[in-house]
Amino acid sequence: MSLHEIYFAGSLLLIVAGLYAIASKRHLVKIVIGLEVVTLGVNLAIASMGVRIVDGALVMDALAQSMIAISIAVAAAITALALSIALNIYRHYGTFDIRKLRRLRW
Amino acid sequence: MNPLNIILILIGAAFLIVILDPIFRRARLIEFGGVIASLAFTATLIILAIEAAAGATARTVIFGPDSPLTASLKLDALSIYLSMIFSGLGLMASIYSIRYMLFDVEHLPLDDLLWTRRRELGFDRYYALLLTLVAGMIGVTMANDFFTLYVFWELMAISSYSLVAFRKWSWEAVEAGFKYLVMSTLGSLAALLGIALLYGLAGSLRFDAVRAAVFGGNIAATFSLAMIVIGFGVTAAIVPFHSWLPDAHSAAPTPIVVLSGVVIKTGVYAILWSMFRVFGPATYGFGPILIGLGILTMSFANIAALMQTDIKRFLAYSSIANIGYIVMGLGLAAHILKAHPSEIGPAALALAGVLLHVLNHALGKGLSFLSAGCYIIRTGSREIGSLEGVGPRMPITTASLGVGLLNLAGVPPLSGFWSKLLIISAGLGVPSDNLMLAATIIFILNSILAAGGYLWLLQRLAFKRPGSSGAYGEIKEAPPLMLAPLIILAAACIMVTLMLNPILQFIQNILEVIM
Repeated sequence: MSLHEIYFAGSLLLIVAGLYAIASKRHLVKIVIGLEVVTLGVNLAIASMGVRIVDGALVMDALAQSMIAISIAVAAAITALALSIALNIYRHYGTFDIRKLRRLRW
Repeated sequence: MNPLNIILILIGAAFLIVILDPIFRRARLIEFGGVIASLAFTATLIILAIEAAAGATARTVIFGPDSPLTASLKLDALSIYLSMIFSGLGLMASIYSIRYMLFDVEHLPLDDLLWTRRRELGFDRYYALLLTLVAGMIGVTMANDFFTLYVFWELMAISSYSLVAFRKWSWEAVEAGFKYLVMSTLGSLAALLGIALLYGLAGSLRFDAVRAAVFGGNIAATFSLAMIVIGFGVTAAIVPFHSWLPDAHSAAPTPIVVLSGVVIKTGVYAILWSMFRVFGPATYGFGPILIGLGILTMSFANIAALMQTDIKRFLAYSSIANIGYIVMGLGLAAHILKAHPSEIGPAALALAGVLLHVLNHALGKGLSFLSAGCYIIRTGSREIGSLEGVGPRMPITTASLGVGLLNLAGVPPLSGFWSKLLIISAGLGVPSDNLMLAATIIFILNSILAAGGYLWLLQRLAFKRPGSSGAYGEIKEAPPLMLAPLIILAAACIMVTLMLNPILQFIQNILEVIM
């Protein structure tokens, strides 16, 4: 396997793990962690597309690097927002359990 | 003008509102945020109108050296057309918010002219988020490479998550906000994965470079196209991915819902642009899939809309149905271009119908949501059953709602009829094709069903006698500052009908960009 394929397989593993967490976990914070894991998987996919081996040394394209940096910043903003909404849900329901907030029919 | 400046006006105004907020609050002028936001939207609208009048020639702006790796923006007829719709509705929403939000947040009396509270209401953040939301949507339509599109996409998405959850003292808003956040973030990540694959294929993310790289058609490009359509389809509320929309629309403050009606158009734009301009329907035969998705979306949403008892949920499902019409129009155009390459005329008709319907739906849905907001704050109820017969008490609101609903229903003189007629005539344009014929028949049946739903709603609100739940003795017309956007939007609906020819000529310019 080449380096790209190893990285890409790893990123798909991370994405699947994150999706599993989102689908199966019942704790709001764990769902947010799952979102974060999916984001990391996608970032790794970008890295796997941008990595090259030049003269035996690993280099990465400038565009891939800037994409990953911006994607990390966006993910941080989304995580902060998701956690603050989760905190507000806790204030309303007194629990982080997603089964308790079924009033909108997930 | 540099397209970046249009975005910077909106973002600058957002910063200005947040920075100046303590000063204005000390001076007890808490409406100032809405005024600054309205001025910024008006400035944007004027700049865009000047660009449109100047002929809307397509051009690109590159930041930094001209290598395939640098970001760039474009300005063409399509982005001007959509940006004008977005900033126009943003202007209406910010004028409407000045009065509505004070009532919605603080339950301050509506007819008082001077607000002299000095409390932390969060309005500076509200208007700043409204401005960044519209800035993000305009940026999406002006992006010239996939990564710029993604960045502005996330600007739009984060602003709209926070706005949906803005009324954080109600359980409904935080719950709908969390659901919307999880679903839409997963969608954005799917799109980003598709974009990453395109980057691996093309080595660049410029639309023309990607177009050259995916021209022949291969498995990886098909997969990334599917990821992009799924990802942007979540925001466009295409049916398997629609379930955030009714909750978010009924939980968000009403002026934001108006904008949510155009946020889904941003998803449609992203799908349209990546399919027609980047991937090309002639190589990738996605027409039948889009037609199927469109039929599924409109049929499901029209039936679900009839079962709603909440007026905001009813209008939200009707938004999904209209996305169904738009997606089916796109599918018809793609199918014609793939299966009948000689019949370029019907494909152009379908795309023109789609673009005109985007405008009609934005105006009509904005108008009906804003009118519904007037009823909601005057009566304190969102149930259609308890709003029955309120119409004669609020004549201007009801008249505007009537114009909006008739436009959505496609009653002949109004422009909502012409956009549907364009899509139908495109569907009948190739008589030998059974798929298109069947799709068009389902489209017509759905239009009739939807028209019945809208007229039924109008009849219940405007003409029915008040039920046992209440005589509306003390209910007055909404305050003038809330009626102004209604009247402007109703006038705009009628103006679009009268000016159909120049608008269709402008749409012809857009078609030259897309096809």
